[in-house]
Amino acid sequence: MKAHSKIASILLVLSFLFLTACGSGNGNEIVIGVISPTTGQSAKMGQDMNNAIQMAVDEINGKGGVNNKKIRLVFADDACDPQASTTAANKLVSENVSAVIGGYCSSAVLPASGVFNSAGIPMVVTAANSEKIPENNYKNIFLLNSTASAQAQTATNYMISNLKGKKIAILNDNTAYSVDLAERTRDAIQKAGGQVVLYESVDPNASDFNSVLTKVKSKTPDATYWTGYYAAGGLLIKQFKQQGVSGSFGVADGSVDQTLIKIAGENNAEGVFATMSPLPQFIPGAKNWSKDYETKFKQAPGPYSALSYDGMRLIIHALEQAKSDDPNAITGAIAKTKGFATFAGPVEFKANGTLTKSNFIMIGVKNGQFEMVK
Amino acid sequence: MDIFLQQVINALVVGTFYGLIALGYSMVYGIIRLLNFAHGDLFMLGAFAGFSVLSLFTGQVGFIGIGLALIVSVLVVGLIGLGVERIAYRPLIKKKSPKLNLLITAVGVSLAIEYAVMLSYGPSFRVYPIQLPNTGFHIGDVKITYIQLGIILFTILIMIFLQLFIHKSIYGKAMRSIAIDDTATSLMGIPVHRFIGLTFFMGSGLAAVAGVMDGIYYGQINFLMGFLFGLKAFTAAVIGGIGSVNGAMLGGLVLGIVETLGTVYVGGEWKDVFAFGILILFLVLKPTGLLGEAVNERV
Amino acid sequence: MNTPFLKNKSFLYILLFIVMIAIPLITNRYWTDVASTAMFYILLALGLNIIVGYAGLLDLGYSAFFAVGSYTTGILTTQFGVSFWISIFLGAIFATVLGVLIGIPTLRLRSDYLAIVTLGFGEIIRLIANNSKFTGGASGIYGIPKPKIGSFVFQSNVLLYYLMFIFVLLAIFVIWRLGNSRVGRAWKYIREDEDAAEAMGVNGLYYKLLAYGLGAMFGGLAGSLFAVKMSAIAPESFGFMQSAMILLAVVLGGIGRISGVILGAVLVILLPEAMRSFSDWRIFLFGVLLVLTMIFRPNGLWPSKKETEEMDDPEPLKGGSKSVVS
Repeated sequence: MKAHSKIASILLVLSFLFLTACGSGNGNEIVIGVISPTTGQSAKMGQDMNNAIQMAVDEINGKGGVNNKKIRLVFADDACDPQASTTAANKLVSENVSAVIGGYCSSAVLPASGVFNSAGIPMVVTAANSEKIPENNYKNIFLLNSTASAQAQTATNYMISNLKGKKIAILNDNTAYSVDLAERTRDAIQKAGGQVVLYESVDPNASDFNSVLTKVKSKTPDATYWTGYYAAGGLLIKQFKQQGVSGSFGVADGSVDQTLIKIAGENNAEGVFATMSPLPQFIPGAKNWSKDYETKFKQAPGPYSALSYDGMRLIIHALEQAKSDDPNAITGAIAKTKGFATFAGPVEFKANGTLTKSNFIMIGVKNGQFEMVK
Repeated sequence: MDIFLQQVINALVVGTFYGLIALGYSMVYGIIRLLNFAHGDLFMLGAFAGFSVLSLFTGQVGFIGIGLALIVSVLVVGLIGLGVERIAYRPLIKKKSPKLNLLITAVGVSLAIEYAVMLSYGPSFRVYPIQLPNTGFHIGDVKITYIQLGIILFTILIMIFLQLFIHKSIYGKAMRSIAIDDTATSLMGIPVHRFIGLTFFMGSGLAAVAGVMDGIYYGQINFLMGFLFGLKAFTAAVIGGIGSVNGAMLGGLVLGIVETLGTVYVGGEWKDVFAFGILILFLVLKPTGLLGEAVNERV
Repeated sequence: MNTPFLKNKSFLYILLFIVMIAIPLITNRYWTDVASTAMFYILLALGLNIIVGYAGLLDLGYSAFFAVGSYTTGILTTQFGVSFWISIFLGAIFATVLGVLIGIPTLRLRSDYLAIVTLGFGEIIRLIANNSKFTGGASGIYGIPKPKIGSFVFQSNVLLYYLMFIFVLLAIFVIWRLGNSRVGRAWKYIREDEDAAEAMGVNGLYYKLLAYGLGAMFGGLAGSLFAVKMSAIAPESFGFMQSAMILLAVVLGGIGRISGVILGAVLVILLPEAMRSFSDWRIFLFGVLLVLTMIFRPNGLWPSKKETEEMDDPEPLKGGSKSVVS
């Protein structure tokens, strides 16, 4: 009996834990929320993004801040999981953030964007780019990365025009983003007069793709395009070369990572092409930035570091334009952005929050490194 | 036809891995009727142990390096398997806890091992520090690489050794006797718990061998790689008849072929549905598997 | 057979009840969200407890039922304009039917085989959701509308929290009554000794099926609520880890006991939030916790008194009742 009342009291104490309300931002600072995966399989990507965002904030705070206020970042981990992402988004809303930046996995951004939309807080998404995000027509969600249809078009143009390919095979890893991109690429290729000889999903947790690749081989494609992530991508390239499948192999942005080349092996990866959002090492103006980043964090910037840095600068720019840290004013200012200079060139947004101009570029593997193609 | 034969070769290699892990599953199940849910994670540990050993080498890693990685990995993972049995399972077996509790423990062990590796090696994929050439030979249009051949031959060797050990050696006889009746065996003066430990050591060691070979062949490892592989291996063990050494190997090959055919004729995304579907069919319709002996239903 | 559910500690329970009602009023959005997640985990854990705790069947694929409920509501409300209330009803029915369909061929199996079969089913359901067109494939279903009565919409988190709270209270009441009924006693009998139960004329398979179907039904209910709370659902939410976490909630608090299961569910949700700074350790610690619980407190942190007496080997529990949570 005693034990029971003891536990009931513990339950009570636990419930009182709820009552510990969080402190909200005081008048002298602007609170910006960062939502990204810092645990789980995509933890590294999240860390790369957070670093770059911190860097942009440190720079502006060093200059005295915006509108005479310093910026304070609040980080929330979404673990690339829809459920954790909703909790993280609500946490940020509770902390009275003026704007939110981040978002790596599309499946985690989808439910989180609903939370921010209902709270009226603007979100700048700096990596996730599934078409499903703008389809919700939320007025305060902005995608700094071009969406899948832009990437599909870039890939199609390259395979049909540059490689003179007619027979194309498309492989995806059965995740939201990868399937979306694969479907759009298939449609774009058919529209451009190409022939999709094989369209397949593979299990990204498997390590043996030989049976799928034998299937690909039997279709003798001119090019094979992989829309999934780098871990399975590396294995695919390796087994693609082992089997001696015809044509070239290409990957989408999720696979652009040095680890892809390491897993595939330098020899196998040679000549692999890729569609990618602008990486700092390919942009003349960003060379110095990359160096600064390396000095500060003792590691090279990740694939989405540059976009995250630009995204934070975009929010700062909007704060300056709006002369306020009111979420609605910031949303309005971001929507009205005209020709804001980023590493990838000037950006502005369409009504649905996507970029007016695609920022995808073509890169390829040469001597074990990704390099600009054109 | 050539395409089909090439697919059979693909299936053989995958099946060999499944079979090798299924062996350990089967041995442990055979002796104490415990479904060691964490077995797939011992396979993963084996891959990481091999990774650590091979990372010590600078420059070209030869056969000595691979041999050393195999030996160290078998010892380390074997001892961990022994430890898991001691710490997590034995207290429950001694208390004659319900099956439910043992299974929940096994799920806990599996999670603990997976995330302990994540904490020490990080969550991202690791690249095996060894790259073997793609060379091989052709039979018609069918290509077999030397590594694939090596993996299959090495596994056959292990099988032969295991058969001899279980059926000819005194240790193997003791193990089989425990599997039939542990109380009677212990009355004969045989240290039952020591032999259960030995079974765990061997089963874990076999998983470690598979782990190192997987790392070398595919070149990429991750802390979650054991989960799915473990389930597939269990499927293989059930197909072949759980508790039977030959059955485990046969089950692995059958599963490899089913998965490959599923990929070819239906599509890669349905592969796992085939694997789990065949598992359920066997458990419901023929729980003794292809080669298993009928076991007493209520243990 | 009188349970001390509302008798001696009624004061504490009433206080707890008031606190639960007050949570959204006195805390912020974040804690309300955490509390709603806890509510829905309580519902899931209560359902799984019927299967694991009452009937002694280990289910490692419970998220399959949860998925059926979620997808039923998701598909019906977004594509066919069906009201949420009809969809949650249908979701519960579909989940129950699936439970019975899975149960008929598999419940005869030995417990360890059953565990693996359920795991396999769980994975198959997730893969079907991931690979099919009607479930929205890998990106799932989004834009699920909030439930409404007439023109009153459960738009805010707070209202949804209260909605879930009502469902949890209902579930507690139903399961509590069930546990103390003839059916509940039959389940316990089967769990303790199936052969003896059958010899006494208890139809083992029938009662097992009943437990499985009922457990599935609560899973379906929780799934429907999850769909409207999240407004977007994707196959990732229905994997093995979800099943494992629900199982942990049941095992940790006290298998077979309503208050224990509730404590377990609250702990499973609150601990990770409290440990956010070292969340990488979370699942590792959960694994270790499962093992330790099974070795030292096989009936959970808060076992029912009766269970303690009925245990074959009460040794590890003797000291336990003194220091319940150390």
